[in-house]
Amino acid sequence: MNNYNFSRYAPKSSIDIGVFLCRCGGNISDTVDIEKLASSIDAKVVKDFENLCSMKCQKNIRDIILEEELDRVVIAACSPITHEKTFRNHIAPLNPYLLEMANIREHCSWVHSDKNKATEKAISLTNAAVERVQYARPLDAIVRKTKKSAAVIGGGISGITAALSLANQGVKVHIIENKPTVGGNMIKIGKVFSPEKLAEECSLCLFNPLINEAVQHKNIDIMTNSEIKSSERKAGNFNLLIERKPGHVNEDKCTACGNCADICPVEVPNEWNENLMTRKAIYKPFPQSVPDIYTIDDNNCIKCGKCEKVCKMNAIDINMEGEIVPLNVGSIIIATGHKGFDLKKRPEYGYGRYDDVITQMELARIMGVNGPTDGKLLRPSNGKIPRRVVMVQCAGSRDEKPEGKRYCSKVCCMVSLKHASFIKHYYPDTEIVICYTDMRTPGMYENYFRHVQSKGIKLVRGRPGDITKKGENIVVRLEDTLRREPMEIETDMVVLSEAMEPSEGTLKVAETLNVGLTEDLFVKEKHSKIKPVATDIEGIYVCGTAQGPKDITESVSQANAAASKVSEMINGGLEIEPTIAVVDGRQCEMCGECVAACKYKAVYIHNERISVDPVACNGCGICVSKCENNAIDVMGQTDAQIFAMIEGMLKDKKEGERRILAFVDYIGYVAADNIGINRISYPESVRIIRVPSINRLMPKHILFAFENGADGIFLGEYPDEVMYSSIQEKVNEFRSALIKNSIDTDRLMYYKVYAPYFRGLANKLAEFDKQVGKALDKLEAVLYKASYKDL
Amino acid sequence: MKKIPDKEILLFKSCLVNVEYPGVESSTKYLFDKLGIEYIVSERQSCCTGLGHYADLFDQFSTTALAARNFGIAKEEGHKNIATLCATCYAILKKSCNILNDKDDIREQINKILDGSGCHELNYDADDMDSRENIFHSVEILYNKADEIKDLVKVDLSGLRVASHHACHYCKVHHKDTIGNARDPMVIETLAKACGVETVDWYDRKTTTCGNGFRQRYMNKDLSFSVTAEKLNSLKENDVDILLHMCPNCQMQFDRNQESIGKSVGTEFGIVCLNISQFVALALGADPYKVVGVQTHTVPVDKVLGKIKQTNLCQ
Repeated sequence: MNNYNFSRYAPKSSIDIGVFLCRCGGNISDTVDIEKLASSIDAKVVKDFENLCSMKCQKNIRDIILEEELDRVVIAACSPITHEKTFRNHIAPLNPYLLEMANIREHCSWVHSDKNKATEKAISLTNAAVERVQYARPLDAIVRKTKKSAAVIGGGISGITAALSLANQGVKVHIIENKPTVGGNMIKIGKVFSPEKLAEECSLCLFNPLINEAVQHKNIDIMTNSEIKSSERKAGNFNLLIERKPGHVNEDKCTACGNCADICPVEVPNEWNENLMTRKAIYKPFPQSVPDIYTIDDNNCIKCGKCEKVCKMNAIDINMEGEIVPLNVGSIIIATGHKGFDLKKRPEYGYGRYDDVITQMELARIMGVNGPTDGKLLRPSNGKIPRRVVMVQCAGSRDEKPEGKRYCSKVCCMVSLKHASFIKHYYPDTEIVICYTDMRTPGMYENYFRHVQSKGIKLVRGRPGDITKKGENIVVRLEDTLRREPMEIETDMVVLSEAMEPSEGTLKVAETLNVGLTEDLFVKEKHSKIKPVATDIEGIYVCGTAQGPKDITESVSQANAAASKVSEMINGGLEIEPTIAVVDGRQCEMCGECVAACKYKAVYIHNERISVDPVACNGCGICVSKCENNAIDVMGQTDAQIFAMIEGMLKDKKEGERRILAFVDYIGYVAADNIGINRISYPESVRIIRVPSINRLMPKHILFAFENGADGIFLGEYPDEVMYSSIQEKVNEFRSALIKNSIDTDRLMYYKVYAPYFRGLANKLAEFDKQVGKALDKLEAVLYKASYKDL
Repeated sequence: MKKIPDKEILLFKSCLVNVEYPGVESSTKYLFDKLGIEYIVSERQSCCTGLGHYADLFDQFSTTALAARNFGIAKEEGHKNIATLCATCYAILKKSCNILNDKDDIREQINKILDGSGCHELNYDADDMDSRENIFHSVEILYNKADEIKDLVKVDLSGLRVASHHACHYCKVHHKDTIGNARDPMVIETLAKACGVETVDWYDRKTTTCGNGFRQRYMNKDLSFSVTAEKLNSLKENDVDILLHMCPNCQMQFDRNQESIGKSVGTEFGIVCLNISQFVALALGADPYKVVGVQTHTVPVDKVLGKIKQTNLCQ
């Protein structure tokens, strides 16, 4: 077992190590016999000080390093969490990574009271650091510069807001919009509600100035009719290929006079007006479109050439071809938005069967002054003003049946109130009934709810079962769940509050960029609480309804957050800890196992080579264990360093002594420090070793530890949702390795660690010590029996 | 969509089908034979308890125990894929299967009972059956062969106006396993279409229950019939000739009680009730009496048989 190949990392023949011991003003020296500790360590220099972290000691350490020409330094003192940075500075001119710390305070003197045992443990902790430091290599912090440019995908309110914020900070922004005009959903909805305001405002009036600002901004380039075809990460930047579909109209020449549309013989449904009216094959989506030009819809154009002839500016070119535009940007913001739920999936509501059953978005278009009825509320079936409008909430939302959306779409309560208020204002004789599940108008929106209620709308709690037609009228059947009785509402118009779901563009872009999605297919944030707007790929951010249902207010603030994250990357000149995975190109056979294993998506293929994004990599090391060619290493956590640490921790183990190695991640280490800070004790047998993650460990490390005298191995890690499943796989892998080698699996324990729950960790360590004791007794008994038989 | 088998099928007999509409079973067998579906019928199989269960006569435990026994028989006879003729059997067996897989204590108790009854070989081990992969409605087996059925159609039924009634116990109880949108499953429609017949796309009350509700039919007769009447009225408004079923309970409710409901609301409905397997069998040229068993129906099927004869291509 001892013949692991260390030669790859062989330290130079004689390394001069200096060990500096800290008494910590009695905090350590009261429990640990410093003289005995000093005399037990084999190093060129061993010296103890009262307070190592003081400025005076910094000079002492430096003088000794220079005088004695030391190559490496071990500090046996407090927790590296407290003072590793300090001591890294103290050892200059040595490279800061040629330092190893032994935590003989939080993990020793503060948790043990028996002076002998504590001293023995301090010796082994310090020994381990001495062993390990020999394999330390000088490392330099990685400085990453992000290109001062960004691609914003989607030109709705979120995309435009994010783009403006970045452009105002001097970042070059490319807005990529797949439609012929920017504006997204907000431009269609006519009126908007706002917190703190009881009035509905004109969405176009709020949004148009922003759009114009974006158009005129020197740092913003708007590409309409464009989609991302491919994306490649390169050293923290992105190489994008953008497909620009031909609009067949020359932007510089078109004056938007409209003669072309007048002569065009092709009429198709106008999607901008929710197909409630028609448009021509050459068209401008709506009067305020940006860019303000006409465009030809390739799917419907019959290429008759009439428009080409009628255009006085010669702006039209039917044979215009699309182009592929390469873009290199430093960051990407996904702002691809949502679409309305397909109500055909709720056939019992009659959408598509009855003309007067419409969606909230269709109602918004009908009431939009630039809509199909010039803003008049008219029934699509007969063009008359409805006497009653029934709104049905949660059409597709909060629906656990297949085809439905389990989530609440968040805005629909306010949307229906907004439309109710608006209708009541212009058509006071029209009655409004809202059938709701719960009215959700949190925060300041509650004021608006009360305001609209006072206008005399009716609310019925209940979800309609079906909607049918009786003669001219539509009938909504539901149970009034407050009165607990079924009811039928006759009406002449029904508005379904359709759920929000991710747009096709959102799904497509997520696939092209390889960013993760939630269960509901929205773009997933790295951590929805503390890492909002960040996706699981470093440098790609999300905002607006591409990330989940939300209103405009929230979309705008999210867009600003995404922009500020991008500028953080650009302006920070980020300095990154070099303790990350590094690939040795000569050994790598490009099997791609590491790329698949990395849940942080830090490993990627670029130019037929495996690369690691230093910002995304957290050095967890799962890639190392997946690499069959030993082509990956985690800096500062090489195999040699881990083996040396294990060996050192188990050095000079006495007959009958028990030693347990506890490998813990950062959170586990903090919890262990907290045990010390709170002076809770646990068995002296436990030696805590910090690893970036259990994923860094491999069966060979575990078996090596057992071969070298470890009695038990404890694994502690915070169950982070990203890596948790692979940790479980790991632990199972270790278990089967133990079984194969006839080692009792009771000698291995995995425990989920939480920083504030340090008492739990202390208890668990004590429990594990007992469990190991029992397992060893069992083993002893078996061995005794076997030897007895032999006799 | 779930994977539907076409072999190793145990055609699960149904009490109501056998007693009320034996033509449903003979039609299904006729179609399975024509479509080359490999299946058996077991004499040892017992009732699923459905009727008794919903009338509170059999509790869930005895229902589950009987299901375990039936699963044991299916396994022993090498035909683990159960295809039920009745939607209630379908729902009951699926639920029992889930209980047997998930609840260790209940499974153990039931195995003890099986042991005590000398049926040790029928013991149930966890995951012996999978409710999604092993338990089907026979109509699903046919649905899976809709394309083949298209090629076998001999009789032109397109002159008939038909509508579907998907059984609640098929589409609502285990809605995640329902083929298509559980709110509007198109299984019956697809099979009718394979026979060249377009169904009435949507009619009011399409997704409401037949009204039977097991004991409701006896305890709350008026309520039960009022639901049935609403649906019948809507079908009548849509000029429906045939209502297509997939559950004998629903078929009974609409067929056996149609006349009395009609009298009470003063309407003559005359809506023929056929199981979709009976309908497809007719389209494939099966004998209306010997195979489809129309003589056991209350609303005379002759009316539509006459229509078929007029437009028949082959006879």
